[in-house]
Amino acid sequence: MDGPADSAAPPMLQLTNLSKTFDSGHGRLVALERIGIEIGCGEFVTVVGPSGCGKSTLFNILAGLAEPDTGAKILYNGEPRMAPELLGKVAFMPQRDLLLPWRRVVDNAILPLQVEGIPRAEALKRAQPLFVEFGLSGFERHYPQQLSGGMRQRVALMRTFLFERDLTLLDEPFGALDALTRSLMQRWLLDIWQRHQRTILFITHDVDEAIFLGDRVLVMTARPGRIKLVLDVPLARPRPPEMLTSPEFIALKRQVLAAIEEESIKSFQQVAEG
Amino acid sequence: MRTGLGSQLAALIGLLVLWEVGVRVFGVAPHNMPTASAVFRDMAGNMDLIGRGVVRTLSETIIGFVIGATIGFVFGSAFAVSRTLERLLFPLFIVSQAIPVIAFGALVVMWLGNDIWSKVAIAAYLTAFPVTVNTCRGMQAVDPQRVALLRSFGAGPWALFWRLRVPYALPSIAAALKLGISLGLIGAIVGEWFGDTVGLGIMLLQAMYNENLPRMWALILVCGAIGILLYAAFEAIERRWIWWKQEI
Ligand SMILES: Nc1ncnc2c1ncn2[C@@H]1O[C@H](COP(=O)(O)OP(=O)(O)OP(=O)(O)O)[C@@H](O)[C@H]1O
Ligand SMILES: [Mg+2]
Repeated sequence: MDGPADSAAPPMLQLTNLSKTFDSGHGRLVALERIGIEIGCGEFVTVVGPSGCGKSTLFNILAGLAEPDTGAKILYNGEPRMAPELLGKVAFMPQRDLLLPWRRVVDNAILPLQVEGIPRAEALKRAQPLFVEFGLSGFERHYPQQLSGGMRQRVALMRTFLFERDLTLLDEPFGALDALTRSLMQRWLLDIWQRHQRTILFITHDVDEAIFLGDRVLVMTARPGRIKLVLDVPLARPRPPEMLTSPEFIALKRQVLAAIEEESIKSFQQVAEG
Repeated sequence: MRTGLGSQLAALIGLLVLWEVGVRVFGVAPHNMPTASAVFRDMAGNMDLIGRGVVRTLSETIIGFVIGATIGFVFGSAFAVSRTLERLLFPLFIVSQAIPVIAFGALVVMWLGNDIWSKVAIAAYLTAFPVTVNTCRGMQAVDPQRVALLRSFGAGPWALFWRLRVPYALPSIAAALKLGISLGLIGAIVGEWFGDTVGLGIMLLQAMYNENLPRMWALILVCGAIGILLYAAFEAIERRWIWWKQEI
């Protein structure tokens, strides 16, 4: 297996000095402040941070849906990009599954391909082999309302994976799932990631999940969101579930928890102050 | 479904029997209320006359409905997409609806002539309003997060419109179409009152002038049957094809 973070290769994504200020009716709100990160080709990077610290805002910017403040620099595949130029260039899975109720499972999955202008027959051909992999075979012709939460999430993930882009953004994809389904989905996602060789940026609230999945964990500060800690996860892959209780894992977890604890208290105080 | 239809049919027959017996038992004068059998006798004896009226009025209704629904869809979509257009024209739409059609029905007949097109115009006018409002409201209610998702796939305004806004608004458009087809029928019947020679509306007027009560009731029943059938057809289409809810 070729190492994902090949030091000679230029980073897939490089952010410098990325800030985001919201101007609302009652004053300015700095959501992100001078974010700088580099993500290598094929890397799996997880992001944790207190609620409201700007994680989703960061993803919206990377998906081209929101403009960062002036002065930000986004290099995507080595080329400088303005926010709107990123539309259609990044595979983005938002916090909710956002399936369309009038489309069957297959048609939800191929939606991004159809938007690209690929004919339905061709799109279906590409989607076909993925149903087994995503645990959805036999459910192709169901409607989203007929699926369980975990299955809906897999449809949304499949939709994101079918939209083959260099960078994939996953915003708390397993946030709403129960613990058992969640751990199954985590192992399954690692499997998919290794087979498809994608670069993934993954938001979560769950520290175990962040360490278990990631090559690196980014910890963000309470608002305004900054990068507080970048932690390499030198655990070997494939990672068995027993790894969650290994001493190396626990040591990493302690570091992340300490950083988050500090920030969560700050964010709680912010809320208390109003 | 079948039992529902069966019991409805039974109720209808029961009602007709009640009508027949009631009129006879209480000795209601024929110029107040004819018996059901008299009405059906009139209907049977004038099949082709009534048939011609049905064809004419139904054509007016359907052509008017199609035109009105198209206009409503186009304007509703335009209002949903463009705030400026909505602010500019929407109040005009509302004001125009505050004036009863009857008030300028005569004018329409003078402008468009005394043939089918003046009735089509009135039917279209009545259909267009609810379709405009519901198309606009339905499309405006579209979930902004889903808009963002499609934009992240690279969707332009055209793809957003056809793949998201239209299907999202369809349940509310369908509700307007059901209302619109009923209003279209009213428009066609009333339109004929401004002068014509064929059609159920004008036949109703003639029956009134001639105090031909069986004919009048025959026409009322026929109009009612058309209204119910049209509504039921749209209801069936809605159940089969547009079953999802707007709030998701
Ligand atoms: N469009 C907007 N206008 C004004 N403020 C906004 C907007 N979007 C987000 N914010 C604010 O920016 C901050 C960061 O929001 P964001 O959704 O990015 O947080 P998050 O880290 O994803 O939180 P969570 O973990 O709860 O999902 C919040 O305080 C939020 O209120
Ligand atoms: Mg979020």
